[in-house]
Amino acid sequence: MNTQQLWKNCLTEIEAGMSRANFSTWFKNTSIIKEEEGIIHIGVPNEFVRDWLINKYHKLITKTVADAYENMRAVEYMITKTEIVKQELTTIRENTSYINKELPLKDLYINPEDNLNPRYHFNSFIVGSFNELAYAASLAIIDNPGTKYNPFFIYGGTGLGKTHLIQAVGNTIKDRYPNKKVHYMTLEKFATDFINSLQSNKANSFKEKYRKYDLLIIDDIQFIGKMEKIQEELFHTFNTFHENNKQIIFSSDKHPNYIPELADRLKSRFAAGMIVDISPPEYESRLAILKVKLQELDINLDQEILEYVALAVDGNIRELEGNLNIIVCQYRLKNKPLTLIEVKNLLKNNMKPKKNMAIKDVVKIVSEYYKLEEVSIYEKTRKKEIVKARQVVMYLLREDFNVSYPLIGQKLGGKDHTTVIHSCLKIKNDLKNDPQLLQELEQIRIMFK
Amino acid sequence: MKLECKIEEIKSKILQVERITGKNLTLPVLNSILLISSGKSLKLRSTNLSLGIEVEIHAKIEKEGLVAISGSVLNGIFSNVFQNENVFLESIDGNLLIQTKRSKIKLKGQPYDDFPTIPRVSGTSFEIDSKKLIDGIKSVFYSSSVSDIKPEISSVFLYTNEDNLVFVSTDSFRLAEKKIKVKGIPEIGGILIPYKNIAEILRVFGDSPSVLKVCFNKNQISFSSDDVYLTSRMIDGVFPDYRQIIPKTSTTTATVLKQDLLNALKISNIFSDKFNQVNLKISPKEKVFELSSANNDVGENKTYLDAAITGEDIELGFNYKYFLDCFQSITTDSVSIKFSGSASPLVISSVSDSSFLYLIMPMNR
Repeated sequence: MNTQQLWKNCLTEIEAGMSRANFSTWFKNTSIIKEEEGIIHIGVPNEFVRDWLINKYHKLITKTVADAYENMRAVEYMITKTEIVKQELTTIRENTSYINKELPLKDLYINPEDNLNPRYHFNSFIVGSFNELAYAASLAIIDNPGTKYNPFFIYGGTGLGKTHLIQAVGNTIKDRYPNKKVHYMTLEKFATDFINSLQSNKANSFKEKYRKYDLLIIDDIQFIGKMEKIQEELFHTFNTFHENNKQIIFSSDKHPNYIPELADRLKSRFAAGMIVDISPPEYESRLAILKVKLQELDINLDQEILEYVALAVDGNIRELEGNLNIIVCQYRLKNKPLTLIEVKNLLKNNMKPKKNMAIKDVVKIVSEYYKLEEVSIYEKTRKKEIVKARQVVMYLLREDFNVSYPLIGQKLGGKDHTTVIHSCLKIKNDLKNDPQLLQELEQIRIMFK
Repeated sequence: MKLECKIEEIKSKILQVERITGKNLTLPVLNSILLISSGKSLKLRSTNLSLGIEVEIHAKIEKEGLVAISGSVLNGIFSNVFQNENVFLESIDGNLLIQTKRSKIKLKGQPYDDFPTIPRVSGTSFEIDSKKLIDGIKSVFYSSSVSDIKPEISSVFLYTNEDNLVFVSTDSFRLAEKKIKVKGIPEIGGILIPYKNIAEILRVFGDSPSVLKVCFNKNQISFSSDDVYLTSRMIDGVFPDYRQIIPKTSTTTATVLKQDLLNALKISNIFSDKFNQVNLKISPKEKVFELSSANNDVGENKTYLDAAITGEDIELGFNYKYFLDCFQSITTDSVSIKFSGSASPLVISSVSDSSFLYLIMPMNR
């Protein structure tokens, strides 16, 4: 008979019949030492406990043990050395492995030959109005590599899917034309390669290395600004590709015109092909992206949770994915659907705080941008440049910060609210025809951050 | 219960008993004192499940009974009562009513059903003068290890050797041994009393000379005087065979005045580093007994003592704190220090009294 098991069973029964304090004081560190001819010897840590067990709990113990072990004739108590009972480490639940199983990090392996990540494919690329032009151009390139749009220059803010798109192009071309050599790299890699080749006097082999590819994809080209020598090398590489009708693809977070210190000859060459931008996804696209990701992970979340996440994370797809991962991870850990409140709590730290700016600050930034005196905005004047700046302030206050028309008017030198409405409408209309103004507004908005 | 007793008496007893109430234990009733009125006396009982105590107070009992009251509360009340008169205690529905001429206090009681009994020890017993016992314990207990990792050395070891009751304790860096001459004591192979309980035993019996009845078995020891019964758990373990490490012979012997050495060590204290190291250099030919210590931040010092030295030259370091500790147990004016090489322990004893022996492991860095 297993005495350990017997005592464990008895303890469970005894515990039920008394207070926790009593139980842990008197029954902790007790055990059955041995069983001899029906006499159960119970080991106790000291005489105090033995006394108390005999005086107070003997009946209970005898009865419990007798119930569990019918051969029992008597119970005796012995004092034994107290051994510190090692607490069993609470075993971490075994499901850690399956949490890892489907987290996206797992398949982030990269093919060393072409540097492409197979995860980036058009299957998982979500097309919305924010990126449909870029998508269409990419498809055209796949159909006619090297001839249709060469070079293909794609730009947009961080985390919007540029890398995904250009790698998907690379992967598709590789699949469709198996004998074409594709290579993906970041500009930084290109630069280090070049420097290394200079150091080891192998500038020629560097040229050869890149010129053997049929499709070259260079990511994050915006860093080229200050690297004059590399600009030159890129220029030559580019020429070689172009002459031989080989496709070359660039990505950047800025339009080539805004990359600082970019040589004009490169600028014009980038412009010769196709320049498209990817703008931040709008709400519907964000929702669609979330749904596709969930499908990949084979998980269902409530519509309202998805809507919340799509609404709360604006713009950046990478952040959207990150937040989704947090939710998915939590979901798997708990193994039950999450409520909206839980999701809100999970994500509360990842959310950007809502921009909150005083009207004064907006005026300050805009007047700084247009190089005007701050006070002139508040003044009653119809100078053309001041009027424009004032209108921009009103527009931004209304559009970005949701300030009411009357309040805007009141704060900007006691204007009527209809004046404000007019100003906002005017800027809105101008924006449609005036890319210059659009550019200005974007730059001002960056200054808000 | 209902009774009347002297404030002075109950006050001092509560102070004694309260220290032994259990603190931070899972069983809340352990932090209370159980008041038992029966026969012709009031008994106060408390325990922390390692020690248990029961003291008796003379009282005029009108009604027998029990009540359990939080020890710290009782202590708080009685340590602030200064009238020297009689106090009336009465239990009403498990609560305690305390009445003096000038105050009336009602205390909430705790259910006393759960209050543990205190084991009555049966086994070998002997009688000893409490002064001797306390003297023995006091001479050595400070050398015990404070940590609980090795329970056998965080305790005081007692055994008999011929007519002596020997007290030993060590923390493996130093060791103290005290022999007390006693008569009519049965042979004791070895008792280990936990260090934490020793302190309470000293407190309870330290200032009331009486004849103690000591009774012990394998697991428990009890000390009882006329009105106090105290029982402690014993450590089930084997005390290291310390006699092996006491050097049998010595190569150098120095005898110094206790007060000189004490002063020199106190100065060294200022200069000692974080290891409390003090270096000792003895050279019999030049009659030098030099104590030195140095600290990068403070400076350094050397003290030369007058000493009677015989034997070889020697140089070693030791922790001065260990040295200071043993002076409380040396009653004579001069101290004898024996060395046997810089790697073996220093043996310290008083010149005329061989009952106390103190060992310090050298520290050579």
